[in-house]
Amino acid sequence: MHRTLRSNTRFDLIVLSTCIVLALAARALPDTMREPVATGMRRTFLAPLVMLQESAERGRQSLLQADAKQAYLDSLSLGSMKARSLESENDRLRKLIGLGSQLRWGFVPAEALHGRGVRDETTVILSAGSRAGVSRLSPVIAPEGLVGVVDQVDPTMSHAMLWTHPDFRVSAMSPDGTAFGIAQAHLTGATGGYLIELRGVPFRSTLKPGSLIVSSGWGGVWPRGIPIGTVLQEIKTSEGWARTYLLRPEVNPADVYSVMILRRDRLAKGFDGVWQSVAQADQAAQRIVVSGDSAAKAAALAEAAARRAVIDSMARANGAAPLGATPATPEATDTSAAAVAARAAAARAAAQRAAARRAAADSAARRADTTRRDTVPRRDSVRTDTIPHRPGATR
Amino acid sequence: MNLGGAIRAIISFLIFVVLHYTLRPLLGWRAPMDFLILALLLASVRVRPATAAVIGFVLGLVSDSLAPDALGAGAIAMTIVGFGASYLKAVFFADNLVLNAFFFFLGKWVFDILYFVGEQRVKGVELLQQLLLWSPLSAAVTAAVGVLLLFMMRPLLEPAPA
Repeated sequence: MHRTLRSNTRFDLIVLSTCIVLALAARALPDTMREPVATGMRRTFLAPLVMLQESAERGRQSLLQADAKQAYLDSLSLGSMKARSLESENDRLRKLIGLGSQLRWGFVPAEALHGRGVRDETTVILSAGSRAGVSRLSPVIAPEGLVGVVDQVDPTMSHAMLWTHPDFRVSAMSPDGTAFGIAQAHLTGATGGYLIELRGVPFRSTLKPGSLIVSSGWGGVWPRGIPIGTVLQEIKTSEGWARTYLLRPEVNPADVYSVMILRRDRLAKGFDGVWQSVAQADQAAQRIVVSGDSAAKAAALAEAAARRAVIDSMARANGAAPLGATPATPEATDTSAAAVAARAAAARAAAQRAAARRAAADSAARRADTTRRDTVPRRDSVRTDTIPHRPGATR
Repeated sequence: MNLGGAIRAIISFLIFVVLHYTLRPLLGWRAPMDFLILALLLASVRVRPATAAVIGFVLGLVSDSLAPDALGAGAIAMTIVGFGASYLKAVFFADNLVLNAFFFFLGKWVFDILYFVGEQRVKGVELLQQLLLWSPLSAAVTAAVGVLLLFMMRPLLEPAPA
């Protein structure tokens, strides 16, 4: 018993000594040998543990960077929101510049400052006043069309009545001059606040939905030809002697930020073709974009067709099937020397047959050309009803 | 130890090893817990000293393989710690959490002393700081986590009733 215990202790000490010697040997390994040993262990039985550790490290990095990433995402979101508003503002300003270039002179650009009171939807403050040439009853316009009219003027700013104001009126007509009326805000509750009524249209004049309505120029305040809105539908009123139409306005009061105030001296010179030119410029730009797309598409198709033709001709020259044709037999895809020689021989034979066919066709064509038509017996020269019948024969 | 107890001990050992390579890097503490030491100590008290020395040697090589510059240092330290823990199991390992905590603390601290001295990478004041500040802190964290895991894994680690 005592001897067994002593033997076990000796065995334990031997194993301990061996392990320590091995560990010291590993410690004493030169650097050039340590790395291969460690790498070998990492790549074999320790690979799952190393993978677990890598996953954990990545998880920790993700946790540590979560706040920074969230802040970055927030910044990006904020930037994208600003970009959208900047794009729309840029578009508005570009249109305004286009309108300015058409008007050429006699206008005052101004910023529209929306209030926050009860009458937000009907009036607006403009950042230009009498010092800039603005006077009372000066028309206020936007690239899309009519906005309102100046009703109060200060030296540095002015107050404008939008078309949504209950007192606002403008003489309107269809562009062809067949229908006239008075445009005013459609004041039937909250839902109708941003629509326009065209009242007093003669009963004989009918307007189709989608028709454009512009200012008529009567009354001396508004020049002729400024877009007001498009016809939505006719509405029933108590006035039996005239028609009333509902219009969708060209300008939404909530979207008015940059406007132009027309000076009184500019009104007398007329505005013929100004909005048509703006619209034509937009349409021309769209046509350019569309035609550019079509040209690019046609060029791409032509290039693809040319490339396919080149590939087909190369395939025919090599004796292989053209692009898109499936190989008929497995031999067609065989690349051995015998198969290549057989394909070459078949190609030569096919070329000889084609040459023979072409020669035969040419000689036949020459014969047909040298034979007079009037000498060729007509196939229908013999009447079939003159052929004697044998009794019992089927026809 | 019967077969069921051996299987449970092996499962516990593997759980500690996996925790060492998942939870420890995930937490990334300056004074980290050492699940490999816990695994070694829990295994050592269940086997004879020679086996504990071999387990320590293998575990040490495993930990050294991720730090090739110190290859062998961890193997030496874990061999000695495993052998010592198995040799002293009758003294320390009892059904007392405080004793177990002290056992874990001592095992980790001794391992760190052997490891950093054998590694010879840290020297001077920095070595003293490591051995007298960070190593005891790490040993304390290891002891606390070890006691917590012992408490949680008690059904797995206790011998099956006869």
